[in-house]
Amino acid sequence: MEFGDASLLPENDAAWRLDYYQHDAQMDYYGTRLATCSSDRSVKIFDVRNGGQILIADLRGHEGPVWQVAWAHPMYGNILASCSYDRKVIIWKEENGTWEKTHEHTGHDSSVNSVCWAPHDYGLILACGSSDGAISLLTYTGEGQWEVKKINNAHTIGCNAVSWAPAVVPGSLIDQPSGQKPNYIKKFASGGCDNLIKLWKEEEDGQWKEEQKLEAHSDWVRDVAWAPSIGLPTSTIASCSQDGRVFIWTCDDTSGNTWSPKLLHKFNDVVWHVSWSITANILAVSGGDNKVTLWKESVDGQWVCISDVNKGQGSVSASVTEGQQNEQ
Amino acid sequence: MEELDGEPTVTLIPGVNSKKKQMCFDWGPGEMLVCETSFNKKESETKPGCPFIYIIRKDIDVYSQILRKLFNESHGIFVGLQRIEEELTGKSRKAQLVRVSKNYRSVIRACMEEMHQVAIAAKDPAIGRQFSSQVSILSAMELIWNLCEILFIEVAPAGALLLHLLDWVRLHVCEVDSLLADVLGSENPSKHDSFWKLVTILVLQGRLDEARQMLSKEADASPSSAGMCRILGDLMRTMPVLSPGNTQTLTELELKWQHWHEECERHLQDSTFASSPHLESLCKIMLGDEAALLEQKELLNNWYHFLVTRLLYSHPTVKPIDLHLYAQSSLDLFLGGESSPEPLDNILLAAFEFDIHQVIKECSIALSNWWFVAHLTDLLDHCKLLQSHNLYFGSNMREFLLLEYASGLFAHHSLWQLGVDYFDYCPELGRVSLELHIERIPLSTEQKALKVLRICEQRQMTEQVRSICKILAMNAVRNNRLGSALSWSIRAKDAAFATLVSDRFLKDYCERGSFSDLDLIDNLGPAMMLSDRLTFLGKYREFHRFYGEKRLTDAASLLLSLMTSQIAPRSFWVILLIDALPLLEEKEVVFSAEQTYELMRCLEDFASRRPVWREPGVQRIQEDVENTKLEMLRLALARNLGRAIIKEGSLEGS
Repeated sequence: MEFGDASLLPENDAAWRLDYYQHDAQMDYYGTRLATCSSDRSVKIFDVRNGGQILIADLRGHEGPVWQVAWAHPMYGNILASCSYDRKVIIWKEENGTWEKTHEHTGHDSSVNSVCWAPHDYGLILACGSSDGAISLLTYTGEGQWEVKKINNAHTIGCNAVSWAPAVVPGSLIDQPSGQKPNYIKKFASGGCDNLIKLWKEEEDGQWKEEQKLEAHSDWVRDVAWAPSIGLPTSTIASCSQDGRVFIWTCDDTSGNTWSPKLLHKFNDVVWHVSWSITANILAVSGGDNKVTLWKESVDGQWVCISDVNKGQGSVSASVTEGQQNEQ
Repeated sequence: MEELDGEPTVTLIPGVNSKKKQMCFDWGPGEMLVCETSFNKKESETKPGCPFIYIIRKDIDVYSQILRKLFNESHGIFVGLQRIEEELTGKSRKAQLVRVSKNYRSVIRACMEEMHQVAIAAKDPAIGRQFSSQVSILSAMELIWNLCEILFIEVAPAGALLLHLLDWVRLHVCEVDSLLADVLGSENPSKHDSFWKLVTILVLQGRLDEARQMLSKEADASPSSAGMCRILGDLMRTMPVLSPGNTQTLTELELKWQHWHEECERHLQDSTFASSPHLESLCKIMLGDEAALLEQKELLNNWYHFLVTRLLYSHPTVKPIDLHLYAQSSLDLFLGGESSPEPLDNILLAAFEFDIHQVIKECSIALSNWWFVAHLTDLLDHCKLLQSHNLYFGSNMREFLLLEYASGLFAHHSLWQLGVDYFDYCPELGRVSLELHIERIPLSTEQKALKVLRICEQRQMTEQVRSICKILAMNAVRNNRLGSALSWSIRAKDAAFATLVSDRFLKDYCERGSFSDLDLIDNLGPAMMLSDRLTFLGKYREFHRFYGEKRLTDAASLLLSLMTSQIAPRSFWVILLIDALPLLEEKEVVFSAEQTYELMRCLEDFASRRPVWREPGVQRIQEDVENTKLEMLRLALARNLGRAIIKEGSLEGS
């Protein structure tokens, strides 16, 4: 199964050139807009419809490198969250065609490493993981107000990643009478410098409690990704770590709360990032040996690498015309 | 990690070669983004070597204009096939499935033809080459499909099998007809350069009647060889073939063929054709002599042509299960150890071995798009030929391939609509896949949004409907299209949003004194019950209408109930109270005594609860105006009370 050609976003528009490392790039829900964030403290938003590329906004507000961006669900409008080394989380909103800062969260004592929006069914809720070991949850309560809940000491030394579980309504799926919100069990996973992955659950009183500890890594957990639900009664989480390993954790929802890890692969180097495709049938892994690899589960439950997305090793194809290649 | 049959393909991102950099990436709905980065946060280097972001697309074929027709038309065939499944019974079943298969093939051929025209007409030779290579891919697909149709769907038995295979070969070697026209059109056909080449090809393809005609021309032209030509021509004429509708059995045919074969052999032994190397070679071919056939490698062009010709002249009653033996040996003989088999060869071999799974697997690896395997597998599944392989997703291979194909379609701004139907016919995971994909379709126009909604509503995907309507409502509110926002919230059955929009309406009314989108509000019907605020909005408008139609008592009762039912927002109480004024000042008594008491109570209730804290400025002035009006109201109420009591007293009295 081949991948098509890598097509280049044209470098004609000078505004397009990224002169700083983009630490993260995220497509919005529809794939029409792209947000990137970088060491130059900016968050940039591009319109990428129909193969076009237009810089829509260059958002300044952070005072340090920006690590991650996350798009909220479009039903809340065009909202983007960013987190940075400057200990802040900023929420940006598009109002009347212009992007503005709509909220700033300064409740952390150290770099905020990861932000992740909850499933839209829960409302507008943002989870933030920080190097101060805490995880904060910002909930939009209306009229520009955000309520904050903080989980202190979620991970000793620091929290590197947060990822929400997909929304699943417990019990039967009968249509709720209008106006009444179904009782979702809100859960998310976090990965930290204590080599652990922790699963958190919201209790009835609104407090967050640690529900599970998943231990398998021997070094800092760099990223966790909870797979989208495809209607099967199992939950799946992917995790990757400084120790070069990527694990796939599965839990059979019907039998209880035991999570079993399966080693996807041991890479030779740190693995930084894991991400599921929309229908959860492909896992992309980035990191070790400078590649992005794609994995799929095979018939007998083994994970198979189906493609390598590699960087050119000196072989320059005809399509790369200009563009300064800064030699290192 | 399990071993793959082939190495995973590596996609190179043109960029700086450096060992230190990594790539960050993100999934889009149908593609991936990558760009160079450094995850090491302590990295002092801030400038990337490669300053670009790349988009990687998987199903690029989706964007091809010409292939789009293939996708559209095959979609129609696919859906038709699913629908007639129940009706496919008994003897006609096979015939109908063969017809479906032929339909698919004709669609491929049409696409090939069109692409061929484009390739010829292309001004840029590179583009022309690109299209030409696409044409050969399509041609290979049709070749494979055709063979699968003969072996798996038609399930031709021995005898008929060979005839089908002959047709198959003839269909894919097109030069013959143009060569035929060329030679016949010339002045002296038998003296044409390619005359013997043509006759040989005709014999190789089993087109013996035409070959005989050519020989008679040669006989006319050179009397010295006339005798030999006639003899060979006779042999050609008398070769026993199975013709459709012929009642002879296979054994009878075999016997006759044996006799004929021996007669040819005798002529060869008697050196009948010794003086004409061409004719002798033809005779050897007709005897199925391998060496003679292999001499014609160039004319045969490929090993499967060699196979069929070989079978024609040595084992015309070959049985399907024996095919693979001849196939393998033909391939080996033809390649002669000089080259190795290509993917296409392996696929055809797998087909001759009746290994359907292998065929599908090899095709999946070799082709860049799921189209072919998805449709072929589905058709074969309808022929009941696939055993269920249980894959991770709990679905079988057919469903797996259809899901992959359909997902690819969703990357396209209009082809996604085809994808919907494919998901519909995947019983296990089709629905949930559709749910996940359909929410990601950009709702760039109202028309598109309505299309998406209709699809969701038809399938009772209430969650998706709600989510999409909410997005559209939110958009409408941002663009100040309150009426639109309201109707979307109603469709989404979203009480909270309906309340929000109703509040906006009321706020607008407070500011401007009129409502926008009256049509919508007036015709809410039962939807009014969605939220209290919405109900209030609807009823308040009704009040206005009553007043306009001079149905004053109705207006009065409604106004009162609005005040007493507690559904009016605080901010609106003043307006409601003041609305009572014109009714109180009518000539006739509109409010009864009891109603008047109620109103008075409401007024005092309101007055007592107003915030004491005053803010200077505009609000002060507004409040003064309000106070004046409320005073007027008290006066009017008192007056009305008097009038009402008198009126009611008199009525009772009389």
